[in-house]
Amino acid sequence: MNKGGLLAGMLGAATIGLVVIGTVWPVSSARAYAGGQGLLRSSSTPEAAVQNLGDQIRAQAWQRAYESLANKAQFTEPEFVGDLMGYYPNLRTYSGVDHVEVFPLHASDNDAEVQLKLYWSTVVGPSVSTRDLHVVRDGDHWVAEWPIVKRPVVPPQVIPVNYLRWDVIYRGPGDDWGTQDVESPHVRIVDMHPVQRAEGLVILGELLNEDVVPAYVSVTATLLGKDQTPFATEGSFDKISHLLLPKQVTPFLIQFPGASLSDVQSVRMTPFSTLVPASADPVIEIDNEHLNPAPGASLTGQLINQSGQVVNVAHVLGTFYDSTGHVVWIADQYVDSALLPQTPVPFEIHIPEDLARKVSSERTVVASYTAGGVS
Amino acid sequence: MRAVAAFLLMIGVAAPVCAQSSELMLPAKVEAGAAFSIQSTGTGKGTLYIAGLGQVLKRDVQLGETTWFPAGTLYNAGHYAVFLAGNGSAASGAFDVVPVSQPADLSFLARPSRLAVGLHDGITGAVFLFDAYKNLIPVSMPIEFRLTSPSSETQSSTVVTHNGAAWTVMDSTAKQGTDKFVASSGAISSTRIIGQVPGDPCGLKMSAKPAGRQIQLQTDPVRDCSGNAVPDGTIVTFTEAYNGAQSTVDVPLKRGIAQVEMPAHADATITVASGVILGNQIRWEK
Amino acid sequence: MTTLKSILILCAVLGSATGAAAAQATVHVEPASFQGPRPLADQTAKAAIRDYIESWQSLNAALDGNRADLLDADFVGDAKDKLMAAIQEQSRLGIRTHYEDRAHDVQIVFYSPEGLSIELTDTVDYDVQLLDHDKSQGMQRVHMRYLVVLTPAELRWKVRVLQAEAE
Repeated sequence: MNKGGLLAGMLGAATIGLVVIGTVWPVSSARAYAGGQGLLRSSSTPEAAVQNLGDQIRAQAWQRAYESLANKAQFTEPEFVGDLMGYYPNLRTYSGVDHVEVFPLHASDNDAEVQLKLYWSTVVGPSVSTRDLHVVRDGDHWVAEWPIVKRPVVPPQVIPVNYLRWDVIYRGPGDDWGTQDVESPHVRIVDMHPVQRAEGLVILGELLNEDVVPAYVSVTATLLGKDQTPFATEGSFDKISHLLLPKQVTPFLIQFPGASLSDVQSVRMTPFSTLVPASADPVIEIDNEHLNPAPGASLTGQLINQSGQVVNVAHVLGTFYDSTGHVVWIADQYVDSALLPQTPVPFEIHIPEDLARKVSSERTVVASYTAGGVS
Repeated sequence: MRAVAAFLLMIGVAAPVCAQSSELMLPAKVEAGAAFSIQSTGTGKGTLYIAGLGQVLKRDVQLGETTWFPAGTLYNAGHYAVFLAGNGSAASGAFDVVPVSQPADLSFLARPSRLAVGLHDGITGAVFLFDAYKNLIPVSMPIEFRLTSPSSETQSSTVVTHNGAAWTVMDSTAKQGTDKFVASSGAISSTRIIGQVPGDPCGLKMSAKPAGRQIQLQTDPVRDCSGNAVPDGTIVTFTEAYNGAQSTVDVPLKRGIAQVEMPAHADATITVASGVILGNQIRWEK
Repeated sequence: MTTLKSILILCAVLGSATGAAAAQATVHVEPASFQGPRPLADQTAKAAIRDYIESWQSLNAALDGNRADLLDADFVGDAKDKLMAAIQEQSRLGIRTHYEDRAHDVQIVFYSPEGLSIELTDTVDYDVQLLDHDKSQGMQRVHMRYLVVLTPAELRWKVRVLQAEAE
């Protein structure tokens, strides 16, 4: 046997050996992901019982998680899954639990209250959901009760929808010189304000669609140095409502991590707009908006979908103004459950503590996404 | 006259071009697409090359004879270099192909295709004039611009081209609708459609009435300052402030009005706006 | 306009298509002379003239190598169509033409109100050499005034009309 054959044989034997070792003595995390019980601890304490439940949810071991519940007789396994993942396609549909945290709230000999925090990884960033669980002793171990929130029932009804819809026929490909095409929507930046933050420079502002047609919009900012040469360019990315109906206003926030306002001579703002097909539906009411002061400053409220269709993902953007009406901050939140017709869904947008004192008023807008297209 | 001019162009301005051992008789100018001829001196066979940025020709010729090029052979206006290669002899020269002075096409750049009513100098038009072979016609020619508004009001101006181009500016009128913007030169013309759309809402006003535990809010028909109805789909924002809280809803206009139901809170202040235009304010005391 | 008001001499290195030789063309920019509703920014004028001067390089490379693809970066519309047709004809006949520009005298004469066209005149001195199956059939030195229309593309101004004007 030559040297190459010997090496191949040794590598093959080593691989087989490692596979055998991994199968006979698997690490606990691998067992958990493979559907085994590797990460589960003994439910000898209320925290351990909730931790085990959280791990099963993270591993999407729905059946075992459901079977472990003390109050499973009150609901079915699909209802349990629907409560966690949503009954309709939504942000959670494309996300998973990254990790869980457990906090004891109260305990006695026979029952306890434990808080379970689920940290979801979603396509638009992390999302945290919190549930307070009642845990009861069952012999020598503890069992959690799931605080089920049952599927909301929308009363049978007919909601007539006759909102306007815009369709666009473009000129088509080819040379456009001396030919006619649909005009891009006219948009205007109505406010712009740079803010220095610890993490870098932030450009805040508002953009108005002053046309009579819908616009897909974005904003790009370029920082010019003392010698008027550009040294950084960033876009608004998702801190903006990209679809603007006629006369609608969106806030925008552009981040320049690590940049300093003292290095900037001027900022070149470039709004972009293009004509897109759109519908004036759905209308979403933002109800009961509250500015909550520091500590834990936030904007809370409820979204009410006034239309007849389900809104799968809602993006809430809050614009915060000082007493003179200048924008001082923009923050957003993706609502991780679908909006059913006429069914309030709460939202909470956090405001940085140092800015909360300056905030005197706010304006909230909602961008919505419906399965099958942007609405 | 044009035929005479073409004929003179073709044959009248031919000039001998010095060569090493033969000569070329070339026209100084040829109208695009016209027939022309090139005469050479010498004996034997040769090859004639005509090269420009738009076209290239190569012909086997009998030296000492006239080579005829039928109509439609050279049609791209420009400068053409001519080279003749024969039995140990060579000659070269050049001539120009000029555009036909009869316009056949115009490129009409009209902007914008949509604008608000009542804008002074809001509409612009520019024209480049071409002949049938897509050559830019540099000689001055009159272009008539005519803008017909929805109210049949017409603005027009006649502008003479310079270096093949002409431009104009016009106003949008007070009435919404579709304008016809026409540029013409002689028998040829090009039309663009310009949409005149309403401006910002003017005198935005809403009213409120109770609807059970809700307040029904409804605007008056929304119009711009020229009295044009603001188009459906335009967003109207209702904001209700009460007890340190607030409710907001963006409602699109439907059939000229915006209406919505919002929660009824005692001592609520309700405002209405569209874009940067503010409307009236209502204090709900019930 | 201050930059353009003073006569500007630029040197543009115009490489030959074969890469065998490189020559410098002097560029003389006259102050812009046009009336129109749209002001022409210095930056725009400079970019348009720079792109136009560079287009002579690709023009030469394309006609010398009979490669129509080299026109894509600098030409559009009728100018590109006509040059492509000339290249096709050259290829069919086994001909190449070598253009080498030596001097440009450029003046902007029109800027369309919607910003989609800049027209300029250029009095060019250039050499043209014709080769038939790589055998030179002669060379001429040319002094011509050209009418040029440029239109903006994604990254640069492109030549839409390039037409010699008979005196």
